[in-house]
Amino acid sequence: MTTRSVYAPIPVARPAASRLRQTAMVPFVCVIALCLAGPLLSDYALEIALRLMLYIILAEAWNLLAGYGGMVSLGTASFVGIGGYAMTGLLNKAGLPLAIAIPLAGVAAALPAALISRAVFRLRGLYFTVGTLAMAEALRMFMANYGGFGGATGLFLENDPPGLSALYWIAVALVAFTTIVMTLVTSSRFSILLRSLRDDEDAAAQIGVRPFRIKLIAFVLASFLMGMAGALQSLKLGMVEPYGMFGVQWTINVLSIVIIGGKGLRAGPLVGAIFVVALGELLADYPALHLSLTGLILILVIRFAPQGLVGLVTRRFRHRKGAA
Amino acid sequence: MPSFDVVGSSLVSGILLGGVLSLTALGLSIALGVMGLVNLAHGELLIGGAYLSYFMLRYLGIDPILGLLLVGAAMALLALPFQRLLVAPLSGKGMEAPMMTMFGVSIILQNLYLLAFTADTRAIETAYAASPLALGPITVPKIYVIGFAVSIVLVWLIHLLITRTAFGRELRASSADATAAAVMGVDVRRVHALTFSLGAACAAMGGVLLGTAFTFTPSSGATYLLISFAVVVLGGVGNISGTLVAGILMGLMQSMGALVLGDGYRDFVGLVLFLLVLALRPQGISMKGAR
Repeated sequence: MTTRSVYAPIPVARPAASRLRQTAMVPFVCVIALCLAGPLLSDYALEIALRLMLYIILAEAWNLLAGYGGMVSLGTASFVGIGGYAMTGLLNKAGLPLAIAIPLAGVAAALPAALISRAVFRLRGLYFTVGTLAMAEALRMFMANYGGFGGATGLFLENDPPGLSALYWIAVALVAFTTIVMTLVTSSRFSILLRSLRDDEDAAAQIGVRPFRIKLIAFVLASFLMGMAGALQSLKLGMVEPYGMFGVQWTINVLSIVIIGGKGLRAGPLVGAIFVVALGELLADYPALHLSLTGLILILVIRFAPQGLVGLVTRRFRHRKGAA
Repeated sequence: MPSFDVVGSSLVSGILLGGVLSLTALGLSIALGVMGLVNLAHGELLIGGAYLSYFMLRYLGIDPILGLLLVGAAMALLALPFQRLLVAPLSGKGMEAPMMTMFGVSIILQNLYLLAFTADTRAIETAYAASPLALGPITVPKIYVIGFAVSIVLVWLIHLLITRTAFGRELRASSADATAAAVMGVDVRRVHALTFSLGAACAAMGGVLLGTAFTFTPSSGATYLLISFAVVVLGGVGNISGTLVAGILMGLMQSMGALVLGDGYRDFVGLVLFLLVLALRPQGISMKGAR
């Protein structure tokens, strides 16, 4: 088989099947735990759990891009914002049921991703990063200045948004969906193609991987997930406005979650989200201090633990196993 | 339709501001060309220069233009430990780690400004910032003309530094091939440190000029970073004359955008232009200096 030998030079990309099944189990166990915990939680706990799940979805999507595909995006906010605005529009103008409106909001976020891809994939790495940042800033400025979508004041949901516990179940469903998608994507041939591009685009292209197509699929898929998360956020707030929905804090938080948790690792987004949401809750009264501290932790993790907290723990674990 | 005077003045303003943009872009371009560093904290260094100049004027009474080189030198010195501690240890680990580290620096600086100086909108207030200069039907604020002249001189000085001095030779050698330069006895680490400082100084001096012409807040940096980056891409990385032309072109396009769509769209036009250039002509406007 010639195709076999093609993948041989990237052994890292092929974890043992048993280990893969093991790591894939973790998120599923978490989803089940979320289902069981739902009815027991207080309003405050529901609120926190909701934020945690929102960030898990976003971080999973960002991890697909940056961790598996090597495409570090600074445009998270644009897809969250588009998802939120699309959701509000779909509910207000078309009166669609939530089960249809949320995936449609995801599609609305995936479309501009497909449009912009030609610009941002033209050159490698850094142009993608800066291009996505430019896109997010441009969208925020446009939404604040253009009157058609409520301008700087934003738009309100005309009907009452669903209650906290309903939102919780929607979030659980979205997390479950994201988990299934990510498990399928990360354990399939597609993941190997994507990681081969991350590790060496020239070599991968030489042996027949199509960089543009593979990256486009990852980008569109990630934007779809981010758009749905944005839809959830707009439901939670009952309104959308440019500085919140397109705010750079989405980009910063999601990026720090994945880098702190462990980029390119299946459990990274989950661990990172718990860490960042907990830190945010501890420092809720000091937003500027919180962000400065996040930046500092980011720098330290990049320098001393490039594989994040999960990488740190697994390395220590393996070390001990090896010594015994 | 606005009158000829308004259109003419606006376009001239754009060209003049474009000169300042080429100065800030040059700082970004040098760091990118020589060290392969995308300095995502460039905007915050720029705003840092503006704050420095603001407080120098307020407490020491130093005029921003006279103190320009002082601010540049101060920022260059402040930037040295940043490079030593944060960027240098990551060399050889690809472009992503230093870029994300600078993103972390950008978050930290922005929030430190917020904590230290509050979110208030500020401007470096001078007599020439507000007073107009009239030449026939065309009227522009004096600071635009001063900013343009100062920027052009600085860009020219940096051009001389890079093309005519021993340091410039080492810089060009490190840029072309760091390993070969090191073999030939160039202290690449030192060149990188000084390059980073030079980039920071450009940002800070540009920030002084922009902070005098416009208002600024702790979070103004991101837009300037992106506009500067757009100019770098448009002009070609490491191409000084290309950067100068691209900066002026960017200023002109922004002014035209503001004229047609409204002042709120000034930066929006710049960013859209950037995305268009990435899509259609990522090697920039000139063939020279393309990578």
